Amino acid sequence: MPVEELSDGIFRINVDDREMLATKNLMSGISVYGERLIVEEDVEYRQWDPNRSKLGAMVLKNFEIPLHYDSAVLYLGAASGTTVSHVSDILRDGLVYAVEFSPRTMRDLLQLCDQRPNIIPILADANKPQSYAHIVEKVDVIFQDVAQPNQAEIAAINSKYFLEQHGHLMLSIKSRSIDTVASPKRIFKEEVQKLETGFDVEFEVLQRKELDPFHEDHLGLVARMFVDDEE
Amino acid sequence: MQESGQGAALQDLDLRQAAIDSCFVELDEEYDILLREVCIRAAKSRISSNDTDDRRIIQAVQALDDIDRNSNELSERLLEWYGAYFPELELTGEPLARFVSTFGSRANVPESHPIFVKASMSMGSELSFADEELLRTFALNLCSLYDTRRHIESYIVKAMGSLAPNLSDIAGALLGARLISMAGSLQKLASFPSSTVQVIGAHRALFKHLRGNTPPPKHGIIFNNVVIKNAPWWQRGKLARSFASKISLAARTDFYTGKRDPSIRENMDKKLNAIRTANPSPPKRESKPTGKPGSRGKSRNKKGGRR
Repeated sequence: MPVEELSDGIFRINVDDREMLATKNLMSGISVYGERLIVEEDVEYRQWDPNRSKLGAMVLKNFEIPLHYDSAVLYLGAASGTTVSHVSDILRDGLVYAVEFSPRTMRDLLQLCDQRPNIIPILADANKPQSYAHIVEKVDVIFQDVAQPNQAEIAAINSKYFLEQHGHLMLSIKSRSIDTVASPKRIFKEEVQKLETGFDVEFEVLQRKELDPFHEDHLGLVARMFVDDEE
Repeated sequence: MQESGQGAALQDLDLRQAAIDSCFVELDEEYDILLREVCIRAAKSRISSNDTDDRRIIQAVQALDDIDRNSNELSERLLEWYGAYFPELELTGEPLARFVSTFGSRANVPESHPIFVKASMSMGSELSFADEELLRTFALNLCSLYDTRRHIESYIVKAMGSLAPNLSDIAGALLGARLISMAGSLQKLASFPSSTVQVIGAHRALFKHLRGNTPPPKHGIIFNNVVIKNAPWWQRGKLARSFASKISLAARTDFYTGKRDPSIRENMDKKLNAIRTANPSPPKRESKPTGKPGSRGKSRNKKGGRR
């Protein structure tokens, strides 16, 4: 069986005895960043390199990916859109808001947005969700991959604004951007603790795993927003 | 309504509902399509407005560095290559490239040319026609790189003259442009403390100092100005400090007023001369500098607190 669907829209394909991760290409014939296009049973797939994508690495690390065909996703730290393009593949009938701060990388991202109908680009600072609150509506999933020292805080304030009740937060924590010398294990522990109790929204961490060997000193994390029913 | 995006008042506004209520759009799908188009357009216009004067100068400075790196490499190659045919030619760099592109084979050097004797007596091997053509093209390309470099340089001088006249006046256009490039923008340079300006470009030495027991760097990229480069070693630290403070002053004047202020230059010259006359001869070294802070006996190094 050469093609196996691991999760909604995410496939494992066997090509030339090598297993690779792929998504169904939404815009057939177009390779976004030079990745390989594979046609299997009249369906075109795009190879997904886990070394270039935290989300891809999380799939291979057996995370349960809460993305579905019709999810709405807020993607913080979209960069030039390598991973965003695969998210856009997965969300055939969904929508992804791609927030990126740097004008330089936004330039590349915009070319992707021109091609794909389900990406909404936002040039803004993820620290200031007020600045894009008029654009973004409630989302099912927040995916965050920002190299900022206050990653947990960014995740929390954005969740407060935009995440549906019981929505999922997917986080890639880079220990190096919090402290270059401290031990990653300790930083991860602190960050997880912060998420669980540190802010006025609380999270229930469902899964956490380091993303090596694909990404060194990164922790992948899936959490669900915990809603306090007392109020 | 779609474009007026930044205010906190919009925070609680349901834009979709408002658009439908006011009959701006009829269907949800219509809103989705419109939202996407507006976002793309907004991002594009913000990106194009991001291309400011200092961005252009930064690109030019970096292009200059790229050309320097490449032209050095190519000219070394030309020296090696052409040297086989005319080893007596004692030219390097641009003169060599000009020579090769004009004459090609040394047989083409006219009698009137000062190098003629050397050319006719050379021990180098003969240059075949194909090789000569190739070398000439190669040298011609190198020449055009040198031309481009001069072009960029004059562009920077001109652009700096209008963007940062005071900075150009104090530090020189090229050094000023380099400082802007390393700071990221004129605004950032203007907001740096002058102690940072003093050591921009000496990151390795600075962090080595902060981490361990090496002496702090006296100057970063500002060393490239004659004020410091031509100064005797015992004045350099002092000059660098006051030079950096004047650079900060100039950058701030440029960023916040945009007007040229000749008094900065006058004050700087006065100050620098005072330092030069106050320290005419090298200080006697009391003990061998071990590099340990504290053992150097100069309390001045520690003033200003931690950075």
